Amino acid sequence: MIKIDNLNFSYSKHRVLFKDISMQLSSGHIYGLLGKNGAGKSTLLKNLAGLVYAQSGKIEVLGLDPAKRQPALLQQICFIPEEFHLPAIKIDSYVKANAAFYPEFDHQYFADLLKEFDIPVGQKLIDMSYGQKKKVIISFGLATNAKLVIMDEPTNGLDIPSKAQFRKIMASALTEDKCIIISTHQVRDLDNLIDTVIMLDENKIALKATVEEITDKLSFKRLKEIDETVIYAEPSLAGYNAVMPNYHQEDSKLDMELLFNAVLAEKNKLKPIFN
Amino acid sequence: MNNTFDLHRFTLLLKRQWLEFGKIFLITLLVATGVVAAFYALTLLPLQELGYISDQLRFREPLFIIFGFLFISIIASSYFAHLGQKSKAIIDLLIPASTFEKFLAGFFFTSILSVLAFLLIFTITDWAFITYIKSYFRTGDLKELAEVKTFFSKNEIGTFAPVYVMPFTVTSVFLLGSAYFNRFHYIKTAICVMLFSGAWTYIVMNVVDVLLSGKTSINLGNNGKDTMEWLLFSIIALCTLVVLSITYVRLKEKEV
Repeated sequence: MIKIDNLNFSYSKHRVLFKDISMQLSSGHIYGLLGKNGAGKSTLLKNLAGLVYAQSGKIEVLGLDPAKRQPALLQQICFIPEEFHLPAIKIDSYVKANAAFYPEFDHQYFADLLKEFDIPVGQKLIDMSYGQKKKVIISFGLATNAKLVIMDEPTNGLDIPSKAQFRKIMASALTEDKCIIISTHQVRDLDNLIDTVIMLDENKIALKATVEEITDKLSFKRLKEIDETVIYAEPSLAGYNAVMPNYHQEDSKLDMELLFNAVLAEKNKLKPIFN
Repeated sequence: MNNTFDLHRFTLLLKRQWLEFGKIFLITLLVATGVVAAFYALTLLPLQELGYISDQLRFREPLFIIFGFLFISIIASSYFAHLGQKSKAIIDLLIPASTFEKFLAGFFFTSILSVLAFLLIFTITDWAFITYIKSYFRTGDLKELAEVKTFFSKNEIGTFAPVYVMPFTVTSVFLLGSAYFNRFHYIKTAICVMLFSGAWTYIVMNVVDVLLSGKTSINLGNNGKDTMEWLLFSIIALCTLVVLSITYVRLKEKEV
């Protein structure tokens, strides 16, 4: 669905974000895009949506160039930005004005999502809280039935029950022909939701692997003491939370936060494992 | 699917844009109507103290030109202004319509609708006041009353034909400013226009000075006034098209 070839992007000569990035993303997956602040998560998403232009390299989304901003492709992109503005109108007016642009917009699904998120339908968008607006825009985006769903920090501003609802809705929204990319720094919000992790660091893709692949190759354990086999460890109340090679094909649950820190701290040790 | 222009999509876009831009437009139009009416009222009322009526109505030409300029330039300057704000720009740029349709919608609202709306409010206000004056002085000096005409019947429409492109030039420049700058669109555009026109006037004056120094004019009827007017019209029309093309390219290249 998405093909990125040798992407180079920078905002200025001194602020290079991506150097020769290449990767492919397929439909039927929920990708979690992780990275430090300023690593370029949002910029990569914007490149995919055609909101910024790369200096060189090629991006193809559903066989089209997003930089051309063709309606045929825009109909298939649902982008939930971190910061957004909604007009001072009611939800039904908003839907009336925007839904017609999306040929596969599902009004019933939109109504169901609003109900699930407990959004008061008659209220004006401008009078809603940030979290409520976010739920409206997420519901609208999913109801467009776009094939590419891009979400930049979607759980920011959502309260705890809403985060659980969000995870449930996203899990059910994934179909065979959809590709969902979620960028976040709140990795725990995406637990059990994403199936592939993409990590950006130092202008490159530091890691791109499915959760299955990660837990096949790495083991996440609680240890009392650490030894030389440990790739990365963090002290905890009961000893250490450690990442180590999964030599004995043991089952362990992916600790996304620990993996994230391990990738940042021990890039060189992890690289050979995933190559 | 036509990715450049589709009438159905364009109609949807006009409807969508009206939801946001319509409010700004209507409020500005309301203010403009109020200002024009107030200008007429303050100058003409009370009618019993009015002097020679035709003289008193001379304020209309400057009011039409200056206020008309302000109205259409403010409208044009606000159309793409939201693209300077990330939170508004992302959703707008990703609406499934082509850049050409988005540009055309901008042209429609700023160059066509705003110009027509201003002409309409000016015509109605002018007609209302002139009708009122005529009915009030019905029994007075008939000769003087016959000279009191509405703005557009007093000024022969054909006389000013070459300058009719000017509203489009103004709106195209301010529309470009709204797409080009991220903040303070109106002020920045106005400053650019001032600098550019200053430089342009300086160059033209000097070139004319160099070309015509030591030469005497030959009387050829109207001295080629008509030709010059239409030449000027062509140059301004061409500049307007160039500015509109730059606006389109700028919109196409807009990044968030």
